[in-house]
This record gives sequence, C-alpha cells and structure tokens, in this order.
Amino acid sequence: MRRRMAALVRKEFSQLFRDVPMLLILGWAFTGAVYTSGHGIATELYRYPIVTLDLSQSAASRELLSRFRAPYFKLVGQVWSDREVVATLDRGEASLAVVIPPDFERNVHEGTARFQVISDGSQSTTATLAGAHIASIAHGYSVERLVGVRGFAGRHIPQIEARPRVEYNPNLVATWFSSLLEVFNQATMIGMLLAAAAMVREREHGTVEHLLVSPLRPIELFAAKLAPVVTLVPLAVVGSVLGIVQGAFQTPIRGSLALFYVVTVVYVFAMASLGLGIAVVARTLGQAMMLLLLIFYPMMLLSGAHTPPESQGAFMRTAGLLSPVRHYVDFGYQVLFKGNGLAYVWQDVAGILVLGVALFLISARRFAQLVR
Amino acid sequence: VGDRALAIARKETRQLLRDPVYLGLAFVVPLMLLILLGYQLSLDVKGLLVAVIDRDRSVRSRQYVDGFVHSEYFRLVARLDSEAEAREWIRSGRARVVIDIPPDFGRRLSANEMVAVGVTVDGSFPSRGQISLGYVEAVSTLYNQQLLRGWLVEHGWRGGQVLPVQMEMSVWYNPTLESKNFIVPGMLVVVMMIFPPLLSAQLIVRERENGTILNLYASPISRWDILAGKALPYVAVSFLDFLVIFGVSVWLFQLRFVGSAWLLSAAALLYSVCTIGLGLLISVLTRSQLAAMLATFLVAVAPAFTFSGIFAPVASQDAVGRFVARLIPATYFMDVVRGAYLKGGGAAPYAPNLAALAVYAVAVYATAWLMLRKRVG
Repeated sequence: MRRRMAALVRKEFSQLFRDVPMLLILGWAFTGAVYTSGHGIATELYRYPIVTLDLSQSAASRELLSRFRAPYFKLVGQVWSDREVVATLDRGEASLAVVIPPDFERNVHEGTARFQVISDGSQSTTATLAGAHIASIAHGYSVERLVGVRGFAGRHIPQIEARPRVEYNPNLVATWFSSLLEVFNQATMIGMLLAAAAMVREREHGTVEHLLVSPLRPIELFAAKLAPVVTLVPLAVVGSVLGIVQGAFQTPIRGSLALFYVVTVVYVFAMASLGLGIAVVARTLGQAMMLLLLIFYPMMLLSGAHTPPESQGAFMRTAGLLSPVRHYVDFGYQVLFKGNGLAYVWQDVAGILVLGVALFLISARRFAQLVR
Repeated sequence: VGDRALAIARKETRQLLRDPVYLGLAFVVPLMLLILLGYQLSLDVKGLLVAVIDRDRSVRSRQYVDGFVHSEYFRLVARLDSEAEAREWIRSGRARVVIDIPPDFGRRLSANEMVAVGVTVDGSFPSRGQISLGYVEAVSTLYNQQLLRGWLVEHGWRGGQVLPVQMEMSVWYNPTLESKNFIVPGMLVVVMMIFPPLLSAQLIVRERENGTILNLYASPISRWDILAGKALPYVAVSFLDFLVIFGVSVWLFQLRFVGSAWLLSAAALLYSVCTIGLGLLISVLTRSQLAAMLATFLVAVAPAFTFSGIFAPVASQDAVGRFVARLIPATYFMDVVRGAYLKGGGAAPYAPNLAALAVYAVAVYATAWLMLRKRVG
C-alpha cells in the first residue's frame, strides 16, 4: 500500500514540475510580488496633499502654514480664490485645503482669529488622522500666540505633552508589515489554488474514474493531492521571509523560525484542504477560482491585518474566529515581530490545528460521497 | 474581417451560456463581496484596546482618562500598575496602547506647568500604530483645550471666542467620515479587476490545453479576429456586472451618488476593455489554465487591491508604490469612480484618466496581438 501511495505522490509532484511557466509565476509570487507589495497600502498620514488659500499674506499666516510640514503634509499648491479651492479638491489634486481670511493677523493680536480647513473625507481613516493632527497644530499655535496678546505675555500655561514610544517597530516602517502580509496572502491563495487545481484537473480531463477504479482509498487520494502543496508552499514561505522580508527590507525577525515553519505547514494543510473541498464542489477550474475568491477576500479583510478585530461588530468578530487566516496572521506577526513563543500563541495554533483537521475531514467526506 | 470576429464572438457567447453556474457565479460572487463589505465589514479603526497606568489618581488624571473612556476610538480595557505589566499587555496583544500618567500629574498642572504623559504603542501593525498615535493626539489636544480654557477664564480672558486662534473644519464629500462610502465604490474598481480578467484569462489557454487551438491556427481567421471575437462577449459580461453592482450600491445601499451615471458608465466600459484585454494577454502568454489564474491573481487582482488607492491616497505611498500605481488601470478608474460617487462635477477633470485607460487598452491588445503567434509548439 505504501508503494501505491508513493507512486501517486510522485505523479502529483511531476505534474506540478512539468508546468514551467507556472513554476516561474510561483517564484514571482514569493519574491517580486512580495517585494513590490512592501511598498503598497499605507493608511497613515504621509505626504498628505494640501492646498492653501492665504488671503492674509502676513507673518502670522505664514507662521501658521509653515507648521503643515513634512513628512505628514505636502504642499501641492497655492490658490487665490474659493473657486480654485473647490476645483483642486474636486480633481483630487489636494485632499485638504487651508483657508486663511484677510484679517487673520489683526485678529491674532486680539485673540479672535479663525481659519478654515476643508477636508476631503472620501478616505475617512486618513482624513480623520489629518483632522486630529491639524487640531493639535492649531492648538499649539494658539498657545504660542497668547504670548503676543496683551496681558498674557510671559505666563506659564498648564499643558500636557504626549511622549510616544513605539514597541517592535520604533519608526513604524510600513514595508516590514506589508511585505510579510503579502507572504501570508500568497501562502493562503496558492495553498488553496494549487490543491484545488490538482483535483479539478482530474475532473476536467475525466481521469477521476481512473483513480476511482484504482485500489486506493479516497482519503489516500486526498493525501496524495495535498502532499506537494504542503511540502513546497511552507518552504517557499520561509524562504520568502528570510530572503525578501528580512533580506531585502532588513526587517528584524525576532522569533523562532522553527515554530513558524511547523505552524505554517499546518496552516497550508488547512488551506489546501479547503481548496480541495471547493474543488469537489466545482466542475471547472474557473468555477473553483470564483469560489476561492469569494472565500479569500472576506477572510483576508477579517484577518485583523487591515482593521483590528475589536473594530468589528460582534457577529463579524465571531465569524473571523472560524477563519484560519485570522489565527495565522495573529500568530505570524506575534512570532516573527514580537518574538513570542508558544505560551503566547497557543490559542492561535490550536485554532489553526482544529480548523485544519475539520476542513480536511469535511472535504474528504464530500469527496468520498462523490465517489460512491 | 468583422464577420469572422463576430462568428467567434457568437461561439464564445454560446459556450459561456452553456455553463450557467459559472456565468451565475461571475455575477453572484462580486455582489456577495459587495454586500458583505457594505453591510457587515467595517474598515473604520474604532474601539482600540487601551490600558492606563494612573500613578496620580487625582481629579485631573481622572478627567484625562475620561477622554479615552468617552472616545469611540478607544475602549479602556485595564488599569495597570507598572511598566512591566504594560509591556506584557502589549506583547500579548491584550492592549494596543498604554497611557502612563506620572504621579505628579495633577499637582504640576495646578502649578501651571507642562507635564509629559507616556504613550506606548504596539508597532507590529505600523499603520494601526500610527492611527493609535493620532487618536491619542486627538484626545490629548481636547484635554489641552480644556486646560487652556480653564486657565484663560482664571486669568480674566475677555476674548470673543473660547480660544485665541480657532480652527473651523468642514468635511466634504463624505461628511460622516464613514469608510463604507469610499470602500464600496473602491470595491467596484477592485471587483471589476478580479472577475473579468479571470474569465478572459482562460480563453486562449483553454483552447491550447484542449488542443482546439489548432483549429484556429489552421483557419484563415486573423489574430485580430481571434482577440476581438473573444473579447467582445466578455466585455459585455463585465459591463453588465458593473451595471448590477452600480445599481445595488446606489439603490440597495443608498450610497451617495452625485456624479454623472453616463460618465461613469463610459469609463466602466473602457475599463472593461482594459481588464478583459489584460486577461487575454495573460492567456496568450501562459501554457496552463492554472498558470493563467495564478498570473491573473498576481498581475491584475493583487496590485489593484494594494496600489490603486482603495484604502489610502495614492499620494501617500512611497516612490515605488506611486510608480506601480501609475502602471495599473485600476488607479485611473478609481479617481473616476470616487469622483462620480462622492464629488460630482463634469467630465473635464477626468479626461486624463480616460486617456490613460485608452492608452492602456491599446498597449494590452497590441502586445497580445504580437505574442499570439499562429504556429504549433
């Protein structure tokens, strides 16, 4: 029986290695794609494009505007009329306009100055951050200007100042995070797709019957289909973490790579089982891919990588726990970035393991029913 | 020439209609993604877990902590005693932010002094870390304004307003600052870059896998006829997909839509030509359906998600990110879609975007034409 299994596993491997363009694409997935994605999505306030309408043209207004500085803001232009402000925001050239009225300087001395900020709210997270930052700029300016107001010069004002300290990534380098996230996404997608394709191919070519009349049990067929995926993808994941995430981006990897590798194997096993389960339902590779994506995107958005789980409603938070991706993302960042061991991540590991075994059993059962 | 292209288009349409499950999925799956995002999933970062070390326990320090308790952006999860404990809470992910209030907080503020408050943030998710810092800044500024107001009153302030320099902020286009209003239109762009290219990416490679490509090689059909004939029905499917999503977002979700439906439709048609063309190009270049799907995921789907500006302005990406963003059609279509949904106004501002999409379409089909060799092997 072991010889039969070995032959089948060999067949699955050789089928995978025969498709050279596909291997090249797989190579790109774990190198070039990870590298470029390191430069993608960033929701922080960085080079936020602003336009100014300074009708005051005074020392006071220039002093205020000079506080909208890099790296948070980027001045993309000065305009001279309300109409131009509207046009610049409409075209999306600037996301924020600062409008200073003509009597600004005189009013600063009298303590009655006002200025206007118009914010493009169409990207709400960044707009919220920009608003918070400007409120603090305006406040700081207010406090300093009090010195110039009659009767308040030279006095001390009670204020608090936040002294931030950032753990694990002191300069908040986004590439560390986003390159690793891309590795996780590739493991998820490719784990599912390769397994699904191995099964659908047999159905499309009508060779399932060959396998069915063979003396192999369905569960053995299943295991043989999983073998190449579970062997190769985790190696590619670890290689990509070492080569690109750590190698190219100098991301400090603090945790145990052995632990990471072992759990990645279990994770890929879970995702590949899910892929096989979908392939049992789908008749063509196209159908399988549609269903994969229907599952992939919600899982990815619920993974906690984009929004923290606590921001979701109770229903979605619970639904997220049913997704292996959620546990794996939490596990991966904890182990690799924070250097946490099993004592911290055992719940995630247990989650991946339980979901993996469940997915395997459900998929194998569906397949056995199909066979009969 | 046109007749032959139409004949191929007829054949592809028939083949498409023969697999209603597949065709159905092409409409149902994007809709389900959209409904999930529109109704359930929130991408607003709210309720961040915050812990406090209050070493002062005075009226003032409690007032400051109340700022976090009452903010929708934070949820106070614990009051801790030491820095070591705080580090442990951040390490295990039970808290994202820890506020450390020094023992002389209240006394120094009463003496009109400056007080430093420690803020420790988990940086392992950097953009969440920066958002946390921004929110802490907002709560602290509010408290500072309170302090300043109290101080001014104490010192006989008679200004006409509460603060010497006042900022008035107005938010345009999405006044309630809800992520739904920009994520759902954004998803329209991404979804149209997922499913249409996946459909068209199989068109030529499938014929190659099945061996039927030889029929095409042997016939007098030109390369243009093949590409145009195969693209036509799928561009139609993609455009129908757009109409369905557009309709659902406006009527079911009641999303704000202030622009021109005609302009948006024209851009969507052009975008469909691009996405189907990209799929065809991939189909010409690959040797198996699996390879074609993977390549589509990597070259079309993933970059649209990462670089098109669905989550944050393109301008905020670094130089490499901005460069990639300029290379993909999703970025150009994104401006038009967001503009149409949220901003309104005429077509003039979007002329460069439409031109870019047209250039992209020409480039993709021309490359596919060059690479589609009518030969065996």
